[in-house]
Amino acid sequence: MKRIVVEKKILEKNDDIANQIKNLLDKNRIFGLNVMSSPGAGKTTLIEQTVEALKPQYKIAAIDGDLDTQRDAQRIAALGIEAIQINTSGTCHLDSSMVQKALDHISLDLDLLIIENVGNLVCPASFYLGTHKNAVLISTPEGDDKVKKYPTMFNVADVVLINKMDIAKFVNFDVKKVENEIKELNPNATIFKISALKNEGLRPFLDWIQTNINLVKNQ
Amino acid sequence: MHEGAIAQSVVDILRDIKDQNGLLSITSATLKVGAVSGVMIDALEFAFEAIKKEESFIKDATLNIINVNVKARCNICNKIYEFDNTDDLIMICPDCQMPLTIINGKELEIVDVEGG
Repeated sequence: MKRIVVEKKILEKNDDIANQIKNLLDKNRIFGLNVMSSPGAGKTTLIEQTVEALKPQYKIAAIDGDLDTQRDAQRIAALGIEAIQINTSGTCHLDSSMVQKALDHISLDLDLLIIENVGNLVCPASFYLGTHKNAVLISTPEGDDKVKKYPTMFNVADVVLINKMDIAKFVNFDVKKVENEIKELNPNATIFKISALKNEGLRPFLDWIQTNINLVKNQ
Repeated sequence: MHEGAIAQSVVDILRDIKDQNGLLSITSATLKVGAVSGVMIDALEFAFEAIKKEESFIKDATLNIINVNVKARCNICNKIYEFDNTDDLIMICPDCQMPLTIINGKELEIVDVEGG
């Protein structure tokens, strides 16, 4: 019997590919944003509004992860940008190798690459994709108890968007409590309160994206 | 249930270790799993047991899992805080009111392996 000391990260392969993606994005001066949330929180609507607002100024592409269907990529592509669908056939998250394959099909003459992860507040948090930032979306009808229940997800967030603010009062969503819990768990995260469907409150988030596009451009 | 993918990564690494060290089989592997690694240990063990049935070189392998609590340091006063429960996570130094930096709790590693 032999004992072998390994000291190896289990997701090292994923991280290696993610680092290659990060280098590719940096080399082409593309700001990469990974958008994560539970299903139905409004990721696709948020991305639609973001693309609508920023496409006059910036070249944008999107990668959409879903268990099945082409629906999300079709919605994004309808806005006139390049959108690639990844069907994970049952896998609950995107990993870096899926993103790398999708990137082969995208022109890298871009300012912004948005990755819409699979709707799930658990699994995607464990897989680094090589993007510069993580945006986590939480919507008011999901309830105001999600932050403490999914600490890993809120811990990896650079920004947290609280969506569907227009109906917060009808679903007894305690905004202050949620904001405090986000700040406790991740004091460095920036919080934006929005209603993506109504296109309300998005300006600060769009400004944050623009700042990051410029940072990556000028690095 | 991304623990299936994580368990598969563990098995892939175990296979590499077996080949690199000229082993015939792996009998145990020690893993470190952090409290905010996003991995549920029961689900990981369940997935590993399922893969074991298909991979003869790990058919008798056991996983020893070391749970790692979240530890975080204040960059101002250097005090270290440990959290036994993720429900209690507060990443702000009570003295300095500044964000804490996580130093443990995100681990997802293979520490060592036994085989013959």
